[in-house]
Amino acid sequence: MTGIGKLMHKSLFLGAAAAVMAAAVACGGSESSADPVVSASPTPVPTRASAPQIAPGLQDSTPLSGDNGGPRAGGRFTLVYSDPPTLDPHLVVDGTSFGVVVELFSGLVSLDKSLRIVPELAESWEVLEGGTVYKFRLRPGIKFSNGDPVTAQDFKWSLERAGRPETASAVAETYLGDIVGMQDLIDGDAGEASGIQVIDERNLRITIDAPKAYFLAKMTYPTAYVLNRKNVESGGNGWTDSPVGTGAFTLSEYRVGQRIRLARNENYWGRQAYLDEVFFNLSGGVSMAMYENDEIDITGVGLADLDRVNDPSEPLNRDLVDTPAQFGVQYIGFNVDKPPFDDPKFRQALNLAVDKELISSQVFADLFEPAFGIIPPDFPGFDPDLVGLRYDLDRAKQLLSESRYADAASRPRIVVTVPGSGGSPGLDVEVIADLWRQELGVNVEIQQVEWATYLQDLNRKRLQAWGGVAWQADYPDPQDFIDILFYSDTQGNRGNYSNARVDELIVQARTEQDIQERIKLYREAEQIIVEEAAWLPLWFDTERKALLKQRVQDYTFSQIAIPKFKDVWVTDAG
Amino acid sequence: MLAYMVRRLMWTPVLLLIVSIIVFVLGTYGPGDPVEVRLGQNYTPQAAERLREQLGLNDSPAVQWGRYVWDAIRGDFGDSYVFQGRSVGEILGPRLWVSAQLNIAAFTITLIFGVPLGFYAAKRQGTWRDPAVVLTSLALFALPVFIIAPFLIWLFALQLDWVPVSGWGGFFDKRIILPAATIGVPGIAVFTRLMRASTLDVLGQEYIRTARSKGLSEMVVNYRHIARNALIPIMTILGFTFAGLFAGSLITELIYGIPGVGRISLDSIFARDFPVITALVLIGATMLVFANLLIDFAYTIVDPRIRLQ
Repeated sequence: MTGIGKLMHKSLFLGAAAAVMAAAVACGGSESSADPVVSASPTPVPTRASAPQIAPGLQDSTPLSGDNGGPRAGGRFTLVYSDPPTLDPHLVVDGTSFGVVVELFSGLVSLDKSLRIVPELAESWEVLEGGTVYKFRLRPGIKFSNGDPVTAQDFKWSLERAGRPETASAVAETYLGDIVGMQDLIDGDAGEASGIQVIDERNLRITIDAPKAYFLAKMTYPTAYVLNRKNVESGGNGWTDSPVGTGAFTLSEYRVGQRIRLARNENYWGRQAYLDEVFFNLSGGVSMAMYENDEIDITGVGLADLDRVNDPSEPLNRDLVDTPAQFGVQYIGFNVDKPPFDDPKFRQALNLAVDKELISSQVFADLFEPAFGIIPPDFPGFDPDLVGLRYDLDRAKQLLSESRYADAASRPRIVVTVPGSGGSPGLDVEVIADLWRQELGVNVEIQQVEWATYLQDLNRKRLQAWGGVAWQADYPDPQDFIDILFYSDTQGNRGNYSNARVDELIVQARTEQDIQERIKLYREAEQIIVEEAAWLPLWFDTERKALLKQRVQDYTFSQIAIPKFKDVWVTDAG
Repeated sequence: MLAYMVRRLMWTPVLLLIVSIIVFVLGTYGPGDPVEVRLGQNYTPQAAERLREQLGLNDSPAVQWGRYVWDAIRGDFGDSYVFQGRSVGEILGPRLWVSAQLNIAAFTITLIFGVPLGFYAAKRQGTWRDPAVVLTSLALFALPVFIIAPFLIWLFALQLDWVPVSGWGGFFDKRIILPAATIGVPGIAVFTRLMRASTLDVLGQEYIRTARSKGLSEMVVNYRHIARNALIPIMTILGFTFAGLFAGSLITELIYGIPGVGRISLDSIFARDFPVITALVLIGATMLVFANLLIDFAYTIVDPRIRLQ
């Protein structure tokens, strides 16, 4: 999963349900993000930067057939995908759309395969005035796919277009709101964002409201991509049917519900893509069977097929690749305003009574890694030394007896709400509820509600406790976990958690320029959050299996959507 | 008969209006909000408010309904909430056509096998062939789609390599065979049993004996007297079955990767994509009306004694 859909259905996250029916039932909304690779099937093909680095700014000439076994131009890559809700970069809120948009468009900066921020259309930038001014210098001679030059004016127009109320972008505030004047533009109180200044054709100056270190990371998101004004304004609502972009590919065909075909962008600024075509099959199907029948080049492997493909005598075994763990964390959230979760001791007792290691090995065949913190492994800011609330039944019992809710008779009713449409609410939640009942004598009801209803209740902070979802990173900065989820005054803080010290650390971290210092601040905040048991963190994702045809070379698995197809080539090309 | 048809058709808009009101009421007062589903975890009250304004969801339900009906009369069924900037017609049109072709193919399989088998079983009552036919068709009926479909894929696509695993190439493409069989085969049992019962009923009638006693050939008796009369009850069930087939093809479409209405109808409900949902419900209602009209019309062909008035 490319990670945009921050809130995901667990069934997708788990990737355990192998049946197509389950997928259909599980993909409640567009934000239950699906990986580009497998959206139609719930077997996720998460993605990792395992391939060799491509140096940023590398500007080779056009790809030519390598006689020496190197990359060669031509050929087609086919995958199963689902209909992207939009191809307008400024409206993207979901991983499915992101996965296509990132191939067609681009912005000033992008993420490389190790998720470092690298120059894209900007060849360089300077950070001035203590971190509040970013001066970008565009590459010389860059063009849109229709041949029009890309200028600093195009960036100013695009960033402002993303913020205009008539564009109605859901994420303009999140990603661009730090730019001076942007909030007024979003609210319709200004005609332009004063913080975006065109110096000349190639130089752009962006002023932000405070020295926020994560600003650049946000600029990798499609909300900040450059669009061609003529294309957008002449095309009306349907401009994305023939989009003009700056990505390595152009859209050659889009038939809703059937297929998306991408072709090489001859005007791309960098080395041209090798593939003649990327074919997204949108009509679904059993991707495992399609893979076996050579109809697609990549598929995720569900639990049901895992044993078979792991068998070395099985031909498919040769195609087996490991895909990276996603930057996500599954958890059970507590609303600390609602009794009995308003007593930290009660929350801690619930945390300590759960033996996650045991559940992971006995229930999930070690497919998940027990989470004791919030920030996942390999993510910037991950704390390997964090101890957290590990299984300790005696202490759990003691804390429970010290809490205000020691007496079972007077204890308020506890309901954990999970999303779903019939079927099992999720093994882990059931097992945990059982543990609480048996070990602590705490009775918990599990209530399953349908996705749209669940979201509504969650957004209104009406749920007493909730599970069955995962938080997925949008951009590689710990701010995306700690700030967005636990700062007192943020929409993402669904459990009303509030701690003065945590708030102080978060505010300080926002403008701290030294990366090591920032990470220290976030770690301290994380430590407090975990010890106060704001959540019961459950699982981090672990590596998964996928099948990739041997003819495919240099395919990158990444945790966040990055332009990946420009480097892919096939051995039987040409 | 023309007057009868016109009268029936005049009721259709009234029916559709009622149906649309029901959908609107359920959508407005039921839980879940399309705006929040679209925003997901990016939800903020401000962003939701902007989106609601843009989609016209801040107007009262009555105003929204009025606007919907007025636009619908002029052929505009609105834009999807999920697929931004795409009209419902654009989204559903091609998918409906695909589903229609698939279901016609499936229905043809059901009828071609079901009706003759039922007739055959009835005529062979008392021999082993009758229960054999009935049992076989029942066994096929009992197999759920999610068992029969993977089996067919395994056998015909992976083992025998006769057809691709999935995809769609139109009515005359061989890829239609497996999905059409998946949908059509279970229905055979229904029509076999119905036709068998109905034929047995007719066989016991006096007029059959009369026909035979007149010295008519067995062929003429079979087709003019037995089959035609036995088909009348079948007609009734036929229309409803056909209208219901669209719902039944959902899982099959998912498994075989057919770009029909199956997945979109499910997704639109989860995403509260009301323009798409409403259009689907209205199409379903319209189909039922027309299926019934067709049945009525078919009665008069099979049995000239029936007159519509």
